[in-house]
Amino acid sequence: MSRYDVNVILYKLKKDAAFRTRFQASPQTVLAEADLSDEEREAFVRWDTRRLNELGGSLHLLVSIPHLGGH
Amino acid sequence: MGKIVYAAAMSHVLAPDYYGKNVGPHGRKMVEELIDVVREMGRTMLAARPDALVVIADDHLNVFSFDAVPAMCVRIGRFVERMVQADAIEFDRALDGLPERYPLHEDLANRILERGLEDGFDFAASWSAPLDHAFLSPVSTLCGDRPAPPLVPFWVNCFVAPLPMARRCFAAGRHIARVVAEGPWDVAVIATGGLSHFPELSLARVGTSDPAFDRRIVRLLEAGDHEGLCALTTKELHESGSHELLNWMVLLGAVSPAAAKVRFFGEMGRIDLAAMEWSVR
Repeated sequence: MSRYDVNVILYKLKKDAAFRTRFQASPQTVLAEADLSDEEREAFVRWDTRRLNELGGSLHLLVSIPHLGGH
Repeated sequence: MGKIVYAAAMSHVLAPDYYGKNVGPHGRKMVEELIDVVREMGRTMLAARPDALVVIADDHLNVFSFDAVPAMCVRIGRFVERMVQADAIEFDRALDGLPERYPLHEDLANRILERGLEDGFDFAASWSAPLDHAFLSPVSTLCGDRPAPPLVPFWVNCFVAPLPMARRCFAAGRHIARVVAEGPWDVAVIATGGLSHFPELSLARVGTSDPAFDRRIVRLLEAGDHEGLCALTTKELHESGSHELLNWMVLLGAVSPAAAKVRFFGEMGRIDLAAMEWSVR
């Protein structure tokens, strides 16, 4: 099963442009309240898409986040 | 008595620019050849004058979210919208020029849903889910500038584990065939997606396919070996990147025992492309 909280954030990054802008400006602030492990939080902050994928982040979300997605 | 008058399955990113960029000239050329074949298939489909077009495809977390992912879902209502998303992925942006709204075949969709619940298929229903490239890239290529027949979109969860089993998808297709047979309509059915790509849904492995697995699938389809296909495990589909074959399994159930005629098969490397028809008349 994919990790729910990681994927909720990825989904929001894909669909919510304002959230995405805030995330790009300051990922740590945006994720402060999120229920993430240290490893997950670090992968988000570094925007390490491969690591996020290994931690259960949906491939289809990771490749389709505007301006951040990458194959 | 209703009948299935046309049945086909095909890859659903029919976008030369996407493959040109991500694979190179070889990818662009291969998908252009496939598009020509799909256009020709569309002429055959429309010549059969279907009252409805059932489209079996998957969501790419465009429509459903982790709030709820239905194993299988029927789109009901009178109209369906094309998905619109700012800065969408390039092959969804490629749909920008298409009509924004498509009529649905409300009666057939309702019947698939309601008879399903009576017969043990607890399909989800959506009144609002829009259509992404998995539906509209094939439909627009098949139909060109002619209007699409009223649609019955049918989603299969191909990507968010746990997935429905291949055999269960096949059974859902048998159900659709029964509903069509009981009704008054001539119906076209297509399934979209695949073949192998995104093995294990691993970002590190994007760009690779499993041609040996795909050749085996094509042989089984050509031989009409539906038991062999129903026996495919979720693990096999996941490891080879053949998740979207679940869409094809629904179609297969609808046309069984017919064997597939391969109209196109191409090994691109990033993904293997295919288009097939089933003789159902």
